[in-house]
Amino acid sequence: MWMRAGRWVAAMSFVPFLCLAAPSPSSWVPVRWPYADTRSLELLAGTPINCLLFQSPTPELVAAARARGVVALAVIAPDGVAGELDRALAAKVDGIVLEGEFPEGTMRRIAAKNEAISIIELTSRNRLPLGSTAPVLGTYQGVWPGITVDEEGARKSGPTSSVWIDTNTGFLRAVRAWGNATVWIANRPPAKTAVATTRYLQVIADAGISGARWVVALDDDLAARLAAREEAAVGAWKRIAGLLAYFENHPEWRAMPEGGQLAVVQDPEKGGLLSGGILDMIAVKHTPVRPIPRQQLSAEMLAGATMAVNVDAAALTPEQKEILRTFTRGGGTLLTGPPGWKDPTAAAGSITLEKAELERLNDIWRDVNSMIGRRNMGVRLFNVSSMLSNYLAAPGGKAAIVHLVNYSDYPVENVAMHYLGEFKHATLITPGEADKTLEVYKTEEGWGVDVDRVGICATVKLEQ
Amino acid sequence: MTRREWIAMISAAPSLQVLHGAEAPVAPVSIAKCATYDEDVTGKLGALFDQLGGLEKLVRNKTVTVKVNMTGAPGQRFQGMALGLTHYTHPKVVGSTAYLLGRAGAKRIRFVESAWATAGPLEDVILDSGWNLRALQSAAPGVEFENTNGLGKSKKYARFKFPGTAYLYPEYVMNQAYEDTDVFVSLAKLKNHADCGVTLSLKNCFGCVPASIYGDDAGLDDPNEKPTKGRSDVVHFAKRQPARIAPPELHPNEGLKNAGYRVSRVVADLSVVRPIHLAIIDGVESTAGGEGPWIRGVRVVKPGVLIAGLNPVCTDAVSTAVMGYNPRATRGTPPFRNADNTLLLAEAHGTGAADLKRIDVRGVSIEQALYRYDV
Repeated sequence: MWMRAGRWVAAMSFVPFLCLAAPSPSSWVPVRWPYADTRSLELLAGTPINCLLFQSPTPELVAAARARGVVALAVIAPDGVAGELDRALAAKVDGIVLEGEFPEGTMRRIAAKNEAISIIELTSRNRLPLGSTAPVLGTYQGVWPGITVDEEGARKSGPTSSVWIDTNTGFLRAVRAWGNATVWIANRPPAKTAVATTRYLQVIADAGISGARWVVALDDDLAARLAAREEAAVGAWKRIAGLLAYFENHPEWRAMPEGGQLAVVQDPEKGGLLSGGILDMIAVKHTPVRPIPRQQLSAEMLAGATMAVNVDAAALTPEQKEILRTFTRGGGTLLTGPPGWKDPTAAAGSITLEKAELERLNDIWRDVNSMIGRRNMGVRLFNVSSMLSNYLAAPGGKAAIVHLVNYSDYPVENVAMHYLGEFKHATLITPGEADKTLEVYKTEEGWGVDVDRVGICATVKLEQ
Repeated sequence: MTRREWIAMISAAPSLQVLHGAEAPVAPVSIAKCATYDEDVTGKLGALFDQLGGLEKLVRNKTVTVKVNMTGAPGQRFQGMALGLTHYTHPKVVGSTAYLLGRAGAKRIRFVESAWATAGPLEDVILDSGWNLRALQSAAPGVEFENTNGLGKSKKYARFKFPGTAYLYPEYVMNQAYEDTDVFVSLAKLKNHADCGVTLSLKNCFGCVPASIYGDDAGLDDPNEKPTKGRSDVVHFAKRQPARIAPPELHPNEGLKNAGYRVSRVVADLSVVRPIHLAIIDGVESTAGGEGPWIRGVRVVKPGVLIAGLNPVCTDAVSTAVMGYNPRATRGTPPFRNADNTLLLAEAHGTGAADLKRIDVRGVSIEQALYRYDV
């Protein structure tokens, strides 16, 4: 992995971007564009979308996109490197997206011959070039976020009767903790499914609250209805664009690191690449958590934490073990995985834990659950069983935000948030609505605010 | 069958031969239509209480304990809906009740519930349920909360010895809040119950029994003050006896080992040891087919009614009739398909009469309020 990352960095360093006037890759807002006609680009008016992924771009389409200030990328599949690449280059695309499992060195070879274009990789999670300086890390693998439903259509409940939410947030946080790269998650909607608008909004928000971008991909039904400018489809498109704008209008959120007093030391190259792991388990409990890549473990990274979970104790170096010993000597509580436990490595084609691994991880989870109890680890949320949250704290401690995403089909009313820290001002930021000042009240642990209603998502901004 | 024919039928149904059927006390029951929680719930509840003679003489300068219905974990929701729209008492009904009790002069209003699988503060569970805690606290002076799933804020449990022969346990050991009160209110939901047929003001009080003593993970000798499970093993299925702080059941080798037999009897016993002075039934929106989303086939219903009465058996009899059932139906007959009729068991204990012919129904008639739960 490290060799692969190193080569990737070397390759990328030789790739100048074609159009200096175009937005930089880190600010690209990508959409898989299902249309081949230039008229379709009218749909981009008034949206923050500035990057289109075309399957078979024509010179006219690329030119029309560029005229709108939109970056045109061609998607190349592993079996289409020769023909598709040539056609894309002939269409004068701004860059290419290598989607799938390419042989080692493919990107380097393409980059060497085509220095003028950008190259983005959408690869499997276990091949992500973590630690590279790439402006975009991308994967085509993701779970489709939402409340888990069993065969009979009933919501699954765990032993504590908490609703389980399928999410990519744990994976995205683990990757983001490694570096500052923009992360694209480019999973597609479930096949042969007409996806409800709310589900599109949830997948956008699932990525957005973790500082990542979902590469928007419309299902066939919506794409066809949108092409026909059907009113409901246009309405759905506007809502999708509106939620993209919600996150793009706040680039500062993407720069904020996770806050809170609980740290999880984990190898992002192993369990961190999986969905349904320890980070997602903690997220369902609405406990703020700071993922710390094992390779970057330091006393500074643990500063402010009062509890730490060491998922894979056997993987630590003696120096890293000493850092954790110092943490506990300083009053911190440390929980380690059971003896013999090794953080599972993501296998190609698999992004969730195998059943046996999940059962073993449940042992850690029970201990984590017991350790945390109902303590406030920075933020404590109430009435959020169908929601996930992310607590981000600006360096210096003068401001923080709490993202909320609702995965149910109904708005959630009366969410209460109790938080630590002397934040005396709170603002509710909601997509499509004016910002609202929240009344801050004292609680036993610190301060609290009430949020009357959360549709798909909302953000509470806290300031001193 | 028309509504009139149905009413005539259930009123003429032969009474079960029970010990106290004819002598059991009766009290008036009031019904109001309330289509949604956006209506004036406070005004409608106030009118109900006025029809019953007013709250003031019942609660002025008294400590009032209100048992709400928060069945199951707050995270378990029917299709993501707000809990109050399905199987929990709606917070607007709770807030309105607090306000009206306060206005009537109640000195202290303590909301209680044995929250699912926790003995933590009830305030946390209330917040997790989406109720506005601060609004509830400010609805009336002296509002308090107690999770009665364990000791709670008390130092010892209260003992409720059955005066005579109980069905199941000779004595029930519960949180002090149930003893330290002048007035006890059951604020229930108009629901079916998968095992017991209906869950109304009587069955609501099954939740008074603490999991710390009667729970699946209760200690053998001492209570477990950190319960994490329900009460199935002890109460529903008789797999074990409660923690020894409470006496074991009277006849462990008798009767059926299922909830339809045992829970119904515990509920009837509780109606004697912890009398209910005021029964309030939230039937604005609810669920049919079961008491919570974990029951297969449960569905949302909107009966649009509020019901209140001064006798829980009478109130539940009227409520059962509003749901389209014969309140004197016996085992094997809807809604008591697999259960003994709790109302008749309570009637036999002398708690109150389940005979509609003897009950003075005020406000809206049963016929006008009828909403059939079985379709």
